[in-house]
Amino acid sequence: MMEFALFLGCTTPSRLKAYESSSRAVLGELGVTLVDIQEFKCCGYPLRNIDFKAFVLSSARNLALAKKEGLRIMAVCKCGYGTLKKAAHLMNENSSLREEINEILAEEGLQYEAEIDIMHLLTVLYKEVGLAAIKDKITRPYENLKVATHYGCHALRPSQVTQFDDPVAPTLFDELVSITGAESIEWPMKLECCGGPLSGVNDELSFSLTDKKLLDAKKAGADYLTTACPFCQIQFDTVQDHHIPSILYSQLLGLCLGLDKATLGFDSKHTDIAKIEDFLAKTGNSPEE
Amino acid sequence: MEPGKSDPANIATKQAIELDACIHCGDCTARCSVAVAFKQIPNPNILPSEKLAVLRDMASGKKLPEKQLRIIQEGSHICTDCHRCTDVCPAGINLEDLWFSMRDILAQLGYPKPEVWARDRMGAHFDLTGLKAQTLSLTPVDRGFLGGLGESAQASTFSVCFGCQTCTNVCPVVGTYEDPQEVVGLVPHQIMHALALGRRDLALGSRMLWDCVTCYICQEYCPQGVSVTDVLYELKNLSFIHLKEKTE
Repeated sequence: MMEFALFLGCTTPSRLKAYESSSRAVLGELGVTLVDIQEFKCCGYPLRNIDFKAFVLSSARNLALAKKEGLRIMAVCKCGYGTLKKAAHLMNENSSLREEINEILAEEGLQYEAEIDIMHLLTVLYKEVGLAAIKDKITRPYENLKVATHYGCHALRPSQVTQFDDPVAPTLFDELVSITGAESIEWPMKLECCGGPLSGVNDELSFSLTDKKLLDAKKAGADYLTTACPFCQIQFDTVQDHHIPSILYSQLLGLCLGLDKATLGFDSKHTDIAKIEDFLAKTGNSPEE
Repeated sequence: MEPGKSDPANIATKQAIELDACIHCGDCTARCSVAVAFKQIPNPNILPSEKLAVLRDMASGKKLPEKQLRIIQEGSHICTDCHRCTDVCPAGINLEDLWFSMRDILAQLGYPKPEVWARDRMGAHFDLTGLKAQTLSLTPVDRGFLGGLGESAQASTFSVCFGCQTCTNVCPVVGTYEDPQEVVGLVPHQIMHALALGRRDLALGSRMLWDCVTCYICQEYCPQGVSVTDVLYELKNLSFIHLKEKTE
């Protein structure tokens, strides 16, 4: 059964509601059941600079909660996904750390145990739902649309820990884009950072990294950039001069599944992504092989 | 009333009233996304219900000692802006906006975002200017460092670095600058080398730690399996420990 504990993290519900509503709508349409665990809290990512054990504790607590419910966990955020994976890796390999963290978790009646499946929205779509099943549901594919996929650092690397896709030549996201009828273009800076993690710490450097990436995507001929992480999306969408608009993958897919634009969050205040509708096929056929 | 749109004086009045409206019920803390961190970092200012009381002191113009300001700064920034405290407050206080105001006040007092603050303080404690002209001593400054950084096995992997410089060559931050060392101090492979030499001062004084974008490219490409990014993370943790000791 395709059932997951939905790990939204903090940023998506507070700053990018469109990602939450579009992800829920798309997964619902594709037969994935999402369970909300109210007790889920910070993934630990914001604590990594400050205190190693505080980060592992925050992360492990969420993993223990999902385990208690007997559910696999699905993150929508690349940083949340990477942090949960990292914490699980550390807890699995370091027994003294595991004991120490479990002692604190026990105060809440929780316990971290190994073998918890941590997935991301994109890996759920790719590995659980499957490309063929998604393609079957597409009612209006895109035509003549060029999309640049932004993979997101914390899902891809360190690959030994995240096990998301091939860290040097990933294809998962490109394949997910291709089934919508859009062309996933090759671009040199595809696997580089969005610049987001330095926002508020070194804005000049953060902007410069974002700017380089956006210009590179534009130069490669992309009409749109696509993301699957609130931090990357917010960085591309709101921080920069818009060399190129960025759309969440859940919105990109949702639209050609025929889902309602308001549910997909097309009316949110940021970049105008509504023009992407112009690329939808006029007929209702599935994209050609 | 909305920050950026409403008259700042009206917002200040509303916030002053909100400070008095708190009944200390603790609902905000019960719902807080980062409250769990308190079990590892025993700073009550992490908890919204406690932070509010301190903000009341600050707003009344009470002069607080440096040590306390640092503790407030730490607590004030261990917050993900998730809005849950505001959502559950039975008194209807816009707590999140209060936290933003609090961070503004702290920044004006010389206590900005901890990463920014630590970067500047550490840079001042371990001055690396003119480093290129210096002859460095090979005598370890801190022998304890040689055994590892402490918290985890990954942080000790610097010892297998053979100096190929791949980490530095693939780093997007290093690649941004004409003369990276002028801006970031030691570049990644030099930090690994400094650690192997026990030169804690050089590693901790490098701005590189705070300019690291944590993209993990260096770590992914290291042929020796050095957890470069994770080492930088732990050096940042150590910087905060160092600064805590300095202000105690």
